[in-house]
Amino acid sequence: MQTVEAFSSEFWTAFAPETVLLLGLAALFIIPNLGNAKLRIPLTQVKIPWFFGGRRFRLTGAAHLPGLIAVGTLFSAFFLATWSQFDDTFTATVVVAGDIQLLKIDAFSRLFEIIFLGAVFLASMASLDRVPATIFEETDEMEEMYDNRRQADLYLLMLTTALGMSLVALAQDMFVLFIGLELASFATYVLVAFHKESKAGAEGGVKYFIVGSVASAVGLYGLSLLYLWAGSLQLDVLAATWSTNGSEVLPIVALGFILVGFGFKVSAAPFHFAAPDAYSGANSPVAGLLATASKGMGIVGLIRVLIVIATPDVGAGSAIWLIALAVLAVVTMTWGNIAALGSTNPKRMLAYSSVAHAGYMLAALAAVGAWVNGDIEGPEDYGAAVIGAVLFHLTVLVAFKLGAFLVLGLLEMEGGASRLSSLAGLGRRDPLLATSMFIFMMALAGVPPLAGFMSKFLIIAGLVKVGVGEMWAAGGPVSFADIHWVWWLALAMFVNSALSVFYYLRIGVIMFLEPPEEGRRKPLPYGISIRMTIWVCVVATILLGVSGDFLIQLCYSAAETLF
Amino acid sequence: MSSTANMELKSKEFALVGFLAIAVAVLAALFPNLGANADGNVDWISIPLVGFPIIAGVILLAFASQESRATQKKIAAPIRLASLCFSLIPLGISTALFFDWLIAVDWAILGYNEYVLDSQYLWMESIGVSWHVGMDGLSFPMVWLTTFLVPITMIMTWDEKDGATYHPILLLMGGALIGVFVALDLFMFYIFWELTLIPMFFLILKWGGSDRRYAAQKFFIYTFTASLVMLLGLITLYFLQPEGNGPFHGTITGRTFDMTTLFANAAAYNLGDNVFLGLEMQKILFVLLMIGFLVKLPAVPFHTWLPDAHVQAPTGGSMILAGVMLKMGAYGIMRIPIAIFPDALVYYQDVIMAIGLISLVWGSVVCLGQTNLKKMIAYSSVSHMGVILLGIASMQPLGYAAALFMMFAHGIISPMLFAVCGAFKHHYHSMEIGDMRGMAKWSPFLSVYMMFAWMASLGLPLLAGFVAELMILLAYWPIYGWWILLPGAVLAITAGYFLWSMQRTIFEGGDEGQPPASLNGETPPDITMPENIGMIILAVFTVIFGIFPFIALGMMDDWTVALFEGVFNKGGI
Repeated sequence: MQTVEAFSSEFWTAFAPETVLLLGLAALFIIPNLGNAKLRIPLTQVKIPWFFGGRRFRLTGAAHLPGLIAVGTLFSAFFLATWSQFDDTFTATVVVAGDIQLLKIDAFSRLFEIIFLGAVFLASMASLDRVPATIFEETDEMEEMYDNRRQADLYLLMLTTALGMSLVALAQDMFVLFIGLELASFATYVLVAFHKESKAGAEGGVKYFIVGSVASAVGLYGLSLLYLWAGSLQLDVLAATWSTNGSEVLPIVALGFILVGFGFKVSAAPFHFAAPDAYSGANSPVAGLLATASKGMGIVGLIRVLIVIATPDVGAGSAIWLIALAVLAVVTMTWGNIAALGSTNPKRMLAYSSVAHAGYMLAALAAVGAWVNGDIEGPEDYGAAVIGAVLFHLTVLVAFKLGAFLVLGLLEMEGGASRLSSLAGLGRRDPLLATSMFIFMMALAGVPPLAGFMSKFLIIAGLVKVGVGEMWAAGGPVSFADIHWVWWLALAMFVNSALSVFYYLRIGVIMFLEPPEEGRRKPLPYGISIRMTIWVCVVATILLGVSGDFLIQLCYSAAETLF
Repeated sequence: MSSTANMELKSKEFALVGFLAIAVAVLAALFPNLGANADGNVDWISIPLVGFPIIAGVILLAFASQESRATQKKIAAPIRLASLCFSLIPLGISTALFFDWLIAVDWAILGYNEYVLDSQYLWMESIGVSWHVGMDGLSFPMVWLTTFLVPITMIMTWDEKDGATYHPILLLMGGALIGVFVALDLFMFYIFWELTLIPMFFLILKWGGSDRRYAAQKFFIYTFTASLVMLLGLITLYFLQPEGNGPFHGTITGRTFDMTTLFANAAAYNLGDNVFLGLEMQKILFVLLMIGFLVKLPAVPFHTWLPDAHVQAPTGGSMILAGVMLKMGAYGIMRIPIAIFPDALVYYQDVIMAIGLISLVWGSVVCLGQTNLKKMIAYSSVSHMGVILLGIASMQPLGYAAALFMMFAHGIISPMLFAVCGAFKHHYHSMEIGDMRGMAKWSPFLSVYMMFAWMASLGLPLLAGFVAELMILLAYWPIYGWWILLPGAVLAITAGYFLWSMQRTIFEGGDEGQPPASLNGETPPDITMPENIGMIILAVFTVIFGIFPFIALGMMDDWTVALFEGVFNKGGI
């Protein structure tokens, strides 16, 4: 394992994506503010050019500029992260400050970075159209400047989200993880409320902020209990301590509190109440971001806490969170699906469907837990197969969940997407868009050969694998009673998938069968970048379903680094 | 305005380029080493029979659906002609395969678990998925039937509205259905199994009757749920099979989805008193798989989606649904559970027999009470599918061959039944049996076809349906003895409802007949030329397979004998 000191020269090359993000943030702070301001040297009449403020230059003050900077930055960061995933120069790099490990680059953390940066990149691409930079016909410079400021704000928040998420992925210390989580969370709180024109945006933002900060506080309390218990928040120290005396009451209680904190992030029931409001209030690219990358952030946290820290234990205490997690998973997926059945707002429906998807991932984590805790005899690849399936799910979720939100975003640009009937007639008005939306819906429902099927299939296969274990290895009859209870989680997932088909299919029926709403018969706004993004999502949804093999292997090898 | 036009142009270009890119990428992904067939034969299945119709259908759809409605009307004629021509290519290939024009095939020497044109390519090596196709005496008749029915359906419903998208969907549907029948990999089988739902969903949703929304969703959800149960069984089976390290075993999981390997493993283990996985596990997995297949079949009590789907579906949709899609269920039973879980099959023999009998009786009795012509035909399908289950439950080679022939014969006869219903609806705007009386007066052609199809379906000798029914009764007698009176009586009921409905429709109503009120006094027209052509072809083949059943029955027989030797013999003799 290669170690680098913080802020040494290798540090910047190893953390190139984050460095690029920081540079992009700096550029977003500085460039839009460049103007012809002059600074008068005190007590003299000498004015020297100062460039910050004043009348903005035509080039640097252009309203489109922040968006382009952000998209460029995110793309470079995404590219660098992907590059380093395939080029293993900096795998297993630990940054040490003193003897404390803060960040670690390995296949696992890089994969999550790719997911996060890719999702934020796509959302920013879409925001170029969704939150358009308006240039007024009459030269109202103040208006234009405000508009410019708003653009810069939006993309600053996007970049901050990306940076925070990267920190979460890389963190080797629970406190660093928490800081990254909060950095990303606070940016998303503002992003949700960013549409100040609509009441729903502000309301959703406030709800999301209040519930989110309560959840964070509870999680932080849990962390403090952990610190009290182990004297450190380092992952390896915690894991070592857990393996010796993990069955004490204190860490179990702490784990419960932390579960609440991350449970909110992945919008697991019963901590999901803010999610539907937040999703429907936020503009669609941001809602898509919440449903994909933000959820992934919670999953990283859960994996770190549950799989890395809490599972070396083979004592009695570990079973408590395992059963709790399994119950939570089943409740979450069922609750999400049943609530989605009844929702008439497509964004709320997608929010509940994302709750259901969180349930599927929690079920997978419960299965890994059951394996690591020694309930099931099996080789090393058991846990990696299941975690790999979760990683695959999170990766392809970016394609179809974000894609579905972006289709709604295009409808929002035209005049709202808050009713199911907003989608009516889409099959006639824009067949391509309707087909894309139908593909996303089918992927969410898990219809082959789309990526959504592959991801659900892999998770279920992982559950069954853990549940069935090595039963046939010896040959001879296999008893049904010997099958581990994890197998029943797979059954619960099937029942829920069947439930969910109904509301996903309903979207298709409405798009292709019902006539459009009054006043929505004209062609949809064009929006080149949002359409391009949707196309990328469609192609990824199909391709990763039909030939997702390389991604499966990537996810699997990433998951292997955990064990 | 011009900017709008520009926008449309751009999105069209996007669509075409995108779909082409996807098609090329899918092809590239699926067939990394195309032509590298193990036997050195040309792979006549993967691209010509499966890939080509699907991709051609998707491209035609992408092309047509981007146009405005007015343009769609204009381009409907060339597109449906193109679809028909494209659908004739698989038909030509499957027919040529039958006549040994492409490769020399001797179906009789195929042993158990041996396939014609067996081609396997690596698809997803991490979880052991391969693109594995091949045909044997079980799948070839179904493949030929599919390739045959798709162009017939297109001709029969030549004038369907929105032809620019309707005919490509049929083409696509055909490719997906063939994919189900040729798949020799469980994963691939499942993918095509589900893929068939989507075109059928759209056929019902877009071209269906007044209650199509409900019917389409019910059809999709019902069958999707059932196949999820089946998938759980398949995955559990996948992980229960012994680990291996063949070329098509997953690098992560160590197992393979390859059916042939699985069959060979099961057959090798099942020797003597050994039971692969143990009887208890076999029973559970058998039930999980059977739920998926029985819903598709459909058997009572899982049949309720079928009448709704059929009544609301357009004529073409019904023809494909009854002709091929229902057989997917029977095909699945024959292909997977029987080969892997013979002991569970023996254990559940009586249950399957009971389900078959109940389907048969229930379907027929319900038929008696139907006033809707199409609903009656739908229930008669349920009852015929019950006959197939009886053949399977007989556990004899004769019964299996008969069940196979029933699938085939029903696949030719039932499209004709639905074609007659469709023509009836199309020309008289009504589906009620009592509405039209004395049809012989007004529509001699339709009356003749109706009489022919009805007779074929009730099992008139010299027509295809009779052969199958007779064989199944013959196989049934030695096992269940005097219980044979029940199916025998039901066949009489079948004759009853068919003849009764025919009599009310064709003959009653005095010299002038009673044209339906829905025509508002207009003269009832006879059927159109395309309908005539389609029905004549179907009628001719019904007669051909009625008089010369051995054309198809030969390979079915050989397959059945091989199956019994491979699966039920258990190393004896």
